[in-house]
Amino acid sequence: MATTAGHAPADQGHATPEQPHHMKPALMGMLLFIGSEVMLFASLFTAYFFIRYGVANETWPPLKQDGEPFELPVVLTGVNTLILVSSSFTLWWGEKRLAAGDNKGLIRGLWVTILMGATFLLIQLNEYAHLGFTPQDRAFSGAFYTLTGFHGAHVLVGLIVLSLCLRRAYQRDFSATYHTPLTAGSYYWHFVDIVWVLLFFLVYVI
Amino acid sequence: MLFAFLLLFLLRALFGFEPLYDGAVYGGVAGLIGAIGFLWGIGCFDFWLGWAKGADISEEDHSFHGVSNWKQYFRVNTDHKVIGLQYLGATLFFMLWGGLMALLIRTELAAPGQQFADGETYNGFLSMHATLMIFVFAVPVFGGIANYVLPIMLGAKDMAFPRLNALSFWFLPVAGFMFLASMFTGMFGAAWTAYPPLASQGTMGQTLFELGIQFAGASSIATAINFLATIVTMRAPGMTIWRMPILAWATGVTSVLAVFATPFIAGSQFLTMFDRIMGTHFFVPDQGGDVIMYQHIFWFYSHPAVYIMLLPGFGIISEIIATFARKPLFGYRAMAFSLVAIAVLGFGVWAHHMFVSGMAAWLRVPMMVTTIIIAVPTGVKMWSWLATLWQGRIHMKTPMLWAMGFLFTFLLGGLSGVFLGIVPADIQMSDTYFVTAHLHYVLYGGTVFTVFAGLYYWFPKMTGKMYNERLGQWHFWLTFAATQLTFFPMHWQGLQGMPRRVSDYDPRFETVNSIETVGSYMLGIATIIFFYNIITSWKSGPKAPWNPWRGKTLEWMVSSPPPLFNFDVEPQVVGGPYQYGIPDARHAVVFAPEEFGGELTEDTRYPVLVVANETLTSQTLIDEIRSRDSEGLWSFQLVAPVGDGDRSTTERRLATALAILAESGVSATGRVAEGDMVSVATEAAAEVAPQELVIATLPLAQSRWMQTDSVDKVRKATGVAMSHVIVPPNDARALLATAALPLVMVVATEAVGAEALATAVRTRADAQPARFTVVTPLDLPEPRWGAEANELRRAAGEAMTATINALVNTGVAVDGEVMDDGADVALPLAIDAYRPSVIIVAGINGEAAGLRAAAEAAAGETPVESVNLGAAAGA
Ligand code: HEM
Ligand SMILES: [Cu+2]
Repeated sequence: MATTAGHAPADQGHATPEQPHHMKPALMGMLLFIGSEVMLFASLFTAYFFIRYGVANETWPPLKQDGEPFELPVVLTGVNTLILVSSSFTLWWGEKRLAAGDNKGLIRGLWVTILMGATFLLIQLNEYAHLGFTPQDRAFSGAFYTLTGFHGAHVLVGLIVLSLCLRRAYQRDFSATYHTPLTAGSYYWHFVDIVWVLLFFLVYVI
Repeated sequence: MLFAFLLLFLLRALFGFEPLYDGAVYGGVAGLIGAIGFLWGIGCFDFWLGWAKGADISEEDHSFHGVSNWKQYFRVNTDHKVIGLQYLGATLFFMLWGGLMALLIRTELAAPGQQFADGETYNGFLSMHATLMIFVFAVPVFGGIANYVLPIMLGAKDMAFPRLNALSFWFLPVAGFMFLASMFTGMFGAAWTAYPPLASQGTMGQTLFELGIQFAGASSIATAINFLATIVTMRAPGMTIWRMPILAWATGVTSVLAVFATPFIAGSQFLTMFDRIMGTHFFVPDQGGDVIMYQHIFWFYSHPAVYIMLLPGFGIISEIIATFARKPLFGYRAMAFSLVAIAVLGFGVWAHHMFVSGMAAWLRVPMMVTTIIIAVPTGVKMWSWLATLWQGRIHMKTPMLWAMGFLFTFLLGGLSGVFLGIVPADIQMSDTYFVTAHLHYVLYGGTVFTVFAGLYYWFPKMTGKMYNERLGQWHFWLTFAATQLTFFPMHWQGLQGMPRRVSDYDPRFETVNSIETVGSYMLGIATIIFFYNIITSWKSGPKAPWNPWRGKTLEWMVSSPPPLFNFDVEPQVVGGPYQYGIPDARHAVVFAPEEFGGELTEDTRYPVLVVANETLTSQTLIDEIRSRDSEGLWSFQLVAPVGDGDRSTTERRLATALAILAESGVSATGRVAEGDMVSVATEAAAEVAPQELVIATLPLAQSRWMQTDSVDKVRKATGVAMSHVIVPPNDARALLATAALPLVMVVATEAVGAEALATAVRTRADAQPARFTVVTPLDLPEPRWGAEANELRRAAGEAMTATINALVNTGVAVDGEVMDDGADVALPLAIDAYRPSVIIVAGINGEAAGLRAAAEAAAGETPVESVNLGAAAGA
């Protein structure tokens, strides 16, 4: 059916000028995944805005089932926002330490980031407990819990990913040259933070 | 599981749900946990769990790669070829279930009134049918085909993320079985679109639907990410984006749609599910909710999703049409750009599904405009396919039949789509059977037909066996006819106002409905033929060659089925993928394993049958064969039917043609056959089973074959792709300027015109193929312009014409010249001009002596012979 013929493979001569651009598949995969996550949040924000538009002729924030307006703790959450946003920078700092060959620095950066992320989650949970309304209240509350709940779940996933990276860092698996899982994890973390900033402004502030 | 229930119970207690126990909720959670447990149990997560545990796992662990027996297809596997087949198996399985539901629907609709299903059951069948067909057949099935062929086409060893690939496959049966399981819990009845508020009611089946969508969606997104990473990072050296097969473009564009659109349906199903099991009020208007919002989110996915179900099919059709028309794909870049354009525009038309929903009125016109604009890139594709077919050498093999069926069916679906896109028309036709007709025309054309086209096209590659061509054609024709029978009348029904998704109808629609039911049963029978064909062929079909269709893309340059890692050595791509008919064009070079070295080339030659007689030696035909030869591995079988002509004449022509072809290095054999052209050609075709047929004739006015319509008769009788070469008459008779045959110069004066000379030349030609030139030196009396000289010239010219005609008509390649000088002057000139390899002096009796002397004086090295025609001429 087939024969081998002619010249040896040694002179394959990669003659064609344009070589495909070799991006790391894993990072590309993570970016695409984040793209789809962005769209997931976009769909939830769409729902939120439809609900907001639907009650446009009421006052904003709308009224609960018991007739009181929904009230959100803007200041506390603002502080919480700052904590989460700073955690992006601590992670970035850790990665920079690793690039300089300092594995200890990376471990420290990861610890701080994880602790800040966990603090954020705890404060959010505490907020849920004291809000005074449940998801079963009017549509607005459903949208509120859905958005913040989805985000919270993402923070949790981010924390798990970072913890796994931390474990790997203790095993000295990352180096200045090899750190793909860490980079992918940090992309994810930054994404989670940016979504929160948006969410904070769109749901709490305006 | 118990733990999960406990947790759920506690959570519900905590948030004050009433009642604490709700079957739908617990059932949903059970489904979810069962699914994840199943995936865990079969080992989908092993690698990542290993990573998480910090274990020392190796990227190069291929223990989950390849299969050695059919049972292993039911296990987790990371080989893209196995996953491709798993995908196809699973999606076809769900297609069967969906089809069964369709038959139930059609049976209920066979007559007005209730047959066997009440409204609710009918809704269940309808919803199950649509859901299975859309989410676990039409959307993922292309993932199966592309999983198998795309990495090979790109010259890669596997997909970018083999383990993710396995996981995304296994999401699919989970989704499918969740849908099917709802048959035991009360079927979901809100159709595949699951609009609230209907979807907010209903049974536990609806919850399973919502969960199933999440798994199908996750599968779709993960596969899409995998395809994109593969296309961007895994292409072989030299595979620039403009050298990628169109299927790669189509899969890439589709994947972008899947990554960015699918989250919207996930979002929409989360919201309906929260309304159902958590008591939120997204879709309860008096609580501030909004039902239209669901439709926006849903269609923002589901319109792009129609392209997810379609664009890969466009890619498959592009591959098939180029291969089976043996022509480069017309407008390659336009094909690629139109795919991109369709995808981009596809994000901006969603609300054309909502013209009558009560959405914001200002949105209607913009959505109408964008909808109609999509017809433009779609039209570009249609014309490109037609232009590829134009003057192609069309091989009507089963895959090509499906491609033709696609062009027709999809065209009708696209046209009715434009109707529906126009607001005033849609207001009339929305929610009627017109929509049903439209969507089935696009889905049959765009998905079903293209999937079958692809399955038949790559069946030899995937299984290493050939399918049964006759059954394949039966499958096609039956499906094609039944599709039109089932769905065409629905246009009329819709315009008459019969609403869709209802189990009963006005009695005046009885006739069309029962016709459609018959059509749907025919579709069922056709499907049985298909499964019979693939199962028996896979088990015991003839062994498939590497490249049964003479394709140019990389998957045809490896064995059938391909080796475990596709390529032993990374291939090198050197040109475009569709250069059919272009001499010496190559797409890629595949190398043999290092230990052997060298290039892996195919050497199976496929026969092309050439039928010609009078035109055998023409430059036109020889050039056609030569260029065909440089384009691929062919062997040419020349057949020359004698008809009522002279056998030896035909033999001479054939010998000349074969000598010329042999000189050009073309592998050709030939024979002369008694009998008329149609029967000779048909018998020869049956005997050599050629890939193609070339018939050469003179133009209509001169060709008896054409006057008796024989060419078309052969086309019909054989069914083989045919090209008809029309040879200008002078070309058929002209002396070929070729070095292949020795040139024999015949020098004669008196002998010209005598039958004896012609006979002598024929004898000579039969002994060894040669071309001849007859030269007559004329020793004219002075003055050369005088009447006497003119008379001599005229006579010599007449004699020469007679000889040449006599020879040409009997298949000898010959021309001649009368020269205005005596032999001493004329012969040196003639020998210098013609450079013959032999000179023959032909004379009647002794008179040739003078000629011979002059010839020998002029000949130099060239041998001179003489023949004495004395006896013959005297007789
Ligand atoms: C030129 C191209 C197309 C145009 C202009 C078009 C237009 C439309 C419009 C306006 C509707 C809404 C009708 C109504 O509900 O009143 C519709 C429905 C539909 N179309 Fe298309 N379409 C096109 C191509 C396609 C393709 C390629 C597919 C699938 C592969 C498709 C699948 C569907 C489906 C499934 C529905 C019914 C949705 C439902 O259940 O309500 N369409 N189309
Ligand atoms: Cu649409």
